[in-house]
Amino acid sequence: MGEKIRIKGRAEWPGIAEAEALVSPIPLEGFDNVDPAKGYTTERNHPLFKIPYEGKVLVFPSPRGSGGFMGYGRGKLPAAFVHTEGNTLSIACVMCARVPSMTDFETDPVPLIKTGDRVLVNADDGYIEITKK
Amino acid sequence: MYLTDEEKRMLAGEKGFVPRLCMEYLVEMSGVAGAERLVELDGTADFHVPFTAMVPHYEFPIEELRKIAADGAHFALPTFANKGPCYGGTFVDGWEASGYAPHDEPDYHERAMQREWMELYIRMGLITTYSCAIYLAASYWPTPGQHCAWNESSAVPYCNAVLGGRSNIDGSFASAFLGKAPYYGMHITENRYATVVIDTERKIQTDIEWDVLGFAVGEECRLAVPALIHTGKPTTTQYQKFNTAANTGGSIAMYHVPGSTPEAPTLEFALGGKKPKREVMIDDAWLKRTYEKLNYHKGDSVEMVSLGCPHLNLVDLEKIARKLEGRKSKVPFWIMTVPTLYHQAEQLGYRKIFEDAGATFLSGTCPGAIGGIPDGVHALAVDAAKQAYYISGLFPDEDNTLDVFYGTQDDCIDAALAGRWHGEWR
Repeated sequence: MGEKIRIKGRAEWPGIAEAEALVSPIPLEGFDNVDPAKGYTTERNHPLFKIPYEGKVLVFPSPRGSGGFMGYGRGKLPAAFVHTEGNTLSIACVMCARVPSMTDFETDPVPLIKTGDRVLVNADDGYIEITKK
Repeated sequence: MYLTDEEKRMLAGEKGFVPRLCMEYLVEMSGVAGAERLVELDGTADFHVPFTAMVPHYEFPIEELRKIAADGAHFALPTFANKGPCYGGTFVDGWEASGYAPHDEPDYHERAMQREWMELYIRMGLITTYSCAIYLAASYWPTPGQHCAWNESSAVPYCNAVLGGRSNIDGSFASAFLGKAPYYGMHITENRYATVVIDTERKIQTDIEWDVLGFAVGEECRLAVPALIHTGKPTTTQYQKFNTAANTGGSIAMYHVPGSTPEAPTLEFALGGKKPKREVMIDDAWLKRTYEKLNYHKGDSVEMVSLGCPHLNLVDLEKIARKLEGRKSKVPFWIMTVPTLYHQAEQLGYRKIFEDAGATFLSGTCPGAIGGIPDGVHALAVDAAKQAYYISGLFPDEDNTLDVFYGTQDDCIDAALAGRWHGEWR
């Protein structure tokens, strides 16, 4: 097993999920730049362009763009959301997806997680645990 | 979270099904947002018609709306429609000539139109502005300090930064009906101060400079509140452009232009008397890189032009009419505005000028919102960072790509007349 890192944060949506992480180092954008039916971003030049997020812990710094960001919560769904900071865009997205979600961490987890690491999101007890690949 | 006794009674269902569902929605949203109470709204609201909720879980059937409307229910504050009355984001005016199947068919339009929903909403007080730019047609705006619930990303900074109202991007039927919203974000004075100071090498003065700067500031600031220094004083069009672009490159609900926006008589005031966390110089090379990122094409052949993101105001419509008068577009050319302004522009003779020039005058939507452009078009020119950046997301596959040309309004008009792109960053 790899190194484990535990970080406390604020639960937005309760529940517990553990899955492989898919990390976006830059903000994600919804509306026409996400395809909810296919479950990937269609934003040109984006590091996650056409990489499916279904069943993954989707890790990103913040949402950007229009209220259509909720597309990430309205079709194929990630197992959980982990993000540095949020606003109404990510709030409405979580309310659509109804999967475990956490933000406002004591340490920003985004630079610490790499795609492929396993992440336990325990939104019931308010922490995530990263197992490095 | 704290709820008043009346709010608790509503949540318990004592006031009926719809108030209970609306209260459940606001309480759930407060939980996700980390809001500890609701705020009483005293400004204005808007929501995405024809839907009753952004979150499907809180949608309710038309029978319930019929019941409350028959009982005399009314929105708690002045409430506007920020989308058209049809499913599928279809055009309000001019659809017959749009050339965009099936949206140009009468049967399609009739089926998409949610007539009964609209009649019930109107009985409850909804003002049918049917536009992302509700503020251009509202005739009634929030005054500084009023709490609002707006829900169009391009318009929310107009509420916060330009008008001094207070809103997150959370306008909904629930907020408009109950006159309440979760108390967080832009409702709280402390969160409205700038934390980032943005300076620019060139003095930002033209429409495209404001548009490109908006995208760059959005990318740089993400969710933070910036103060922009050493810019020109933005016009209404330039505020529209900056707001829209900043909420595409990032998610900017609030910003300050010291000496122009109402909560920033000075930079010190914009910063709330504190030191900024960051000071950023956006130089010319940065603006050029941003402009180039918004352009996405190989050749120079333009097959369609679309203007009106966000929806055009009358002054811009007049400018476009003068530029097009007596000329002829070689390619399909959409000119998009707010439905009420459409009729004013028609009376002013602009519609005839546009049509004589081979353009199509439309209202109430845009290529991004309607989800595409006419079949066979593979090269689109636009003058809005938002439209440029989103539209290619609808064409992600290698066998169906879209060339996107982004430039000034003049570059786009020139492209329509010539069928070729001559725009560049200047």
